[in-house]
Amino acid sequence: MDNGAHSIARAATGDPMPARAGLGASAGLEARAGIGLRAQHHLEVLSRAPAVGWFEAHTENYFADGGAHVDALARIRANHPLSLHGVGLSLGSTDPLDTLHLKRIRRAVNRFEPALLSEHLSWSSVGGRFANDLLPLPYTEEALRHVSASVAQAQDFLGRRMLIENVSSYLEFECSRMPEWEFLGAVAAESGCGILLDLNNIYVAARNFGFDAQRYLDAVDPGAVGEIHLAGHSAVEFEGQELLIDTHGTPVCDAVWNLYRAALRRFGDVPTLIEWDTDIPALEVLAAEAAKADALRAEVHALAA
Amino acid sequence: MPSLRELQSGVMRALLDGEPGGAVPLIAARGIAPQHRLGVYANNARANFIESLISSYPAVRRLVGEDYFRQCARGFHARHPSLSGDLQPAGAGFAEHLAELHGDDEFRYLSEVARLEWLVQESLLAADHGPLDLAKLQQVPAAGYDDLRFCLHPSARLFASKYPCVRIWEANVGSDAEPEPIDLGAGPDRALLVRDRGRLNCHRLDCGEERFLQSVQAGERFAAAVERGAARNQGGPAADGAACAFDAGAALQRFVLAGVIVDFR
Repeated sequence: MDNGAHSIARAATGDPMPARAGLGASAGLEARAGIGLRAQHHLEVLSRAPAVGWFEAHTENYFADGGAHVDALARIRANHPLSLHGVGLSLGSTDPLDTLHLKRIRRAVNRFEPALLSEHLSWSSVGGRFANDLLPLPYTEEALRHVSASVAQAQDFLGRRMLIENVSSYLEFECSRMPEWEFLGAVAAESGCGILLDLNNIYVAARNFGFDAQRYLDAVDPGAVGEIHLAGHSAVEFEGQELLIDTHGTPVCDAVWNLYRAALRRFGDVPTLIEWDTDIPALEVLAAEAAKADALRAEVHALAA
Repeated sequence: MPSLRELQSGVMRALLDGEPGGAVPLIAARGIAPQHRLGVYANNARANFIESLISSYPAVRRLVGEDYFRQCARGFHARHPSLSGDLQPAGAGFAEHLAELHGDDEFRYLSEVARLEWLVQESLLAADHGPLDLAKLQQVPAAGYDDLRFCLHPSARLFASKYPCVRIWEANVGSDAEPEPIDLGAGPDRALLVRDRGRLNCHRLDCGEERFLQSVQAGERFAAAVERGAARNQGGPAADGAACAFDAGAALQRFVLAGVIVDFR
């Protein structure tokens, strides 16, 4: 079963490891923006297909051997393009990659044949203990070599290319020797992965660490970007200083929509996803955010044409 | 410059052990103390872990209330952090944690309810399987039944407790209505959880059915399972020494129709 399903997945993407993350890797996802799929929306999505282009599911939520969630995703996948987005592989950890976790991802890929497969430029475990959060790496030569090798190893294991997403961060390490955009680009170049560019995470990091978000966009290779994430954030205060937190619990803010305009101009018509993970609203609210993204895409392309 | 390994070990001690001393010097302050910055991640780690327990243990949470549930979950997290990038398995062992907290007091039934809720999780996530192929069973001559080894659905989980924990669980999931009081001395509960076409069913069992299914689940021959079903009930948490009026034919029919027995070899 593994081999059969796998060859279909490869055929669907044209090439298991395309040189670029562009059209070949994301076939079927360009036409309209997608939304993150959460379990409380399964039945509604199945009963009345909402007006969104595609769905992105957290890979770990479909690790089960069977049951209702796996069944629902299989049925949703029968009618909609899908992206699988992992949050737990801990690619940047100095522990060995978790083979069981990789096998579960591979089973999900074979079951659901996603058009895109992604993970994060982060770590979440060491010494076998997991924080189950996306922890930032120090941007050093050692970390670059390490995470690039892990990404390459995971891609070899899974037999396909992944997109790697920049994370929101709330701290920087003194030992970092390069900006995040340079680190992200180098990981993509060394491992052959594509980039999932989260514009909200760029905005959060830019505000938290005082750099210009546009500078980040300008540094990213347009040929490497295979997907864009849009989401909302919130703010906390420590001793009068604001820190933005990537909560995924609010609408996309105006500044991030502006970044999206700039990203569309630089990266072209990249598959775009609305993410919402806490205080999850009605499906219509998510669909309205996706429609807003579609309107901006049409607007930017009309200007470019 | 610290190695990546040293840096990660220091940060993890700050997040999971509350020992930020190794990590703080590695982090740029820039207007917000490194302890606060680490605290954001420590809170996320704990909150994600507790959310996973909340989704696995709704009845326990309702029984003890939000504040005490979170206190227990924090204590469990401190002693048993997640060992996987998938948080789902992190809730295993919460029943044992509650038993350590409440092994001898009036809340000792809580651990039993937690054990039942974890079996519910296992059942919900187990592999799928179709119903028994009756035509295949009909080809077995009557004399051959004794040697059959029946197979339970992958989602089948047997539960027994000396308190009426199935009744307590049923009263505390699904409905928001205030449950009727349940007498803790109302006797033992025995049940089988199994998924049938996407739905989780909870079948109450008598002691003979329980012993019969235990035997089938252990892979024993049908004849041995029938013998166990009719034996006196002397083992397990719901043991009461009673002899069981066990009807093998009725049990087989019941569990085939309910999608509990799904194959044989």
